[in-house]
Amino acid sequence: MTQATATIHVVDDDESLRTALMRLLRAAGYAIRTYASAGDFLLNKPENAPGCVILDVRMPGPSGFELQEAIAKLDESLPIIFLTGHGDIPMSVRAIKAGAVDFLTKPVRRETLLQAVRTALAGSAERCATRELLHSLRSRYESLTPREREVFARVVSGKLNKQIAGELGTCERTVKAHRAHVMEKMQLTSVAELVRAADQLIGAGITAMAR
Amino acid sequence: MYLTMSKSDPSRRPLRTFFSYAVALTSVGAAVVATLGLGSAMKHTPTLFFCSVMLSSWFGGVWPGILAGVLSAIALDYYFVPPLYALGIGLEEAPDMIAFVSAALFVSWLSGEQKRAKDSLMQARDELDARVQTRTAELEQTNEQLQAETAERKIAEDGLVRAQAEAAHASRLALVGELTASIAHELNQPLGAILSNSDAAELLLESAGPQLDDIRQILADIRRDDLRASEVIKHLRALLRKREVELLPLDLNEVVADALRLVDGESRRRGIEVETELSAVLPAVRGDKTQLQQVLLNLVRNGMEAMAESSAAKRRLTVQTAGDPNEEAEVVVTDTGPGISPDRLPRLFDAFFTTKEYGMGLGLSIARSIIESHGGRIWAEKNADGGAAFRFTLPNAARLDRRNSENATVG
Repeated sequence: MTQATATIHVVDDDESLRTALMRLLRAAGYAIRTYASAGDFLLNKPENAPGCVILDVRMPGPSGFELQEAIAKLDESLPIIFLTGHGDIPMSVRAIKAGAVDFLTKPVRRETLLQAVRTALAGSAERCATRELLHSLRSRYESLTPREREVFARVVSGKLNKQIAGELGTCERTVKAHRAHVMEKMQLTSVAELVRAADQLIGAGITAMAR
Repeated sequence: MYLTMSKSDPSRRPLRTFFSYAVALTSVGAAVVATLGLGSAMKHTPTLFFCSVMLSSWFGGVWPGILAGVLSAIALDYYFVPPLYALGIGLEEAPDMIAFVSAALFVSWLSGEQKRAKDSLMQARDELDARVQTRTAELEQTNEQLQAETAERKIAEDGLVRAQAEAAHASRLALVGELTASIAHELNQPLGAILSNSDAAELLLESAGPQLDDIRQILADIRRDDLRASEVIKHLRALLRKREVELLPLDLNEVVADALRLVDGESRRRGIEVETELSAVLPAVRGDKTQLQQVLLNLVRNGMEAMAESSAAKRRLTVQTAGDPNEEAEVVVTDTGPGISPDRLPRLFDAFFTTKEYGMGLGLSIARSIIESHGGRIWAEKNADGGAAFRFTLPNAARLDRRNSENATVG
């Protein structure tokens, strides 16, 4: 996840401003795409690409806030920076509460904008990394057999092999073998790591693990 | 004049009577002395006495004339008719004497009558003069009162015009206050572009081998955005300027375009499609650009607010200008909101009548006073396909001039 592959999406109905932002951000070394409206963005944005959105509040058609909601629903890892011609406190509170990285007003200083972009892209990178991690955890978890998942659940809830064998009605040696398979398939080396992976899986709602 | 004055002055009448008789006595005395002095040089002795009778009767009327006649007869008899220096008359002299006395009496009567006729004529003239003077004085007084009233009315009218201009200015300030967000947006948009463009140019110049064409393009864009921002400020200043109301020839279409430019951001924010149907041939009209823009902004904003609840696809505001070059000009602002209920139509332009939650109810009443001070009319009606239509007219400048010049010649 580097700056080179991240794209900054500028959504603003003012062509002159769009062009100016594009020139500036391009000169600062970013990849830029511009859109004249919220609809334009939703129709033409690339899928699942890292980056961030610089969004005007007032636009013909859906407003910046409405687009922010739509982006949140799409579960994209696209942090939003608002850039408005006229902002007030209620507007900025609304934007930040809905998860915007920053709420800036035009005209915006270069450093302020670039700082916000850096923060947003870092956030985006982090979200992408998390998502990727979850994705791989999930596929690894899905490669476990039902029996191994049962053992997994009992190991992370702190049970001893002997107790697990008793609960599953099998011998301790079999549990030990399952346990080794789980660690191997999950590509983990310690019980502590396994517990954290289980937390992440539960947190992402991937599995409802019986504890 | 002296005579007429003394005649019409009753306090001077006894003096005058005294003078009349004095004249009779004196003239007869003078005749006696003169005739005696001239002696036989005079052929006709009674001539001078006749003159004294005429003088007395002319000056004093019948009775002094008769007195002079009687005295002359006695004097003639005494001094000149034999027997001399004695009263008494011979038969030979009697006819002459009788003729003299008769002639004297006749002349007295004639002169007296003539005198009386002249006096009554003079009196009539005096009375007429006096009456004319009285009436003239009355007329002058009335005229003065009228002038004072006119001046008072002019002051009141000026006050009204000033108050109206003040109210209009105050409501313009309020209007601009409401549009602050929109105007700030309109300004910050080009300012933002300028700043980002110059930042971009700086970064490009720092880079290796900057493309001069790019820089040139950036500079052109900066210039354009700068002008765009200054246009907004220019319009705003024109709208806020406080000055005398001037009805000057103006282009209605330009007024419409300028007003709409100020609500451009507002309409975009509200997702309203603004359409104009501007007629290329319009009657020449005169008006105050700022005030007319204010009326338009008011109508446009009302229309926009009326459409707040309308579905997004339906929000459309239309501004039309129309009018035959020989007729009055008309401007129509149409919205696609819920329209105006008929029971509200008559009160719509009243002061403090509002259908808005936070409205003052002054916008439309000020709009009406502005349009009426332009000699036009403003009214609202239901639009054929839903929504409301606000219309105002402005009189044709050429016809207004003609009417004014006709009034001037009549006045």
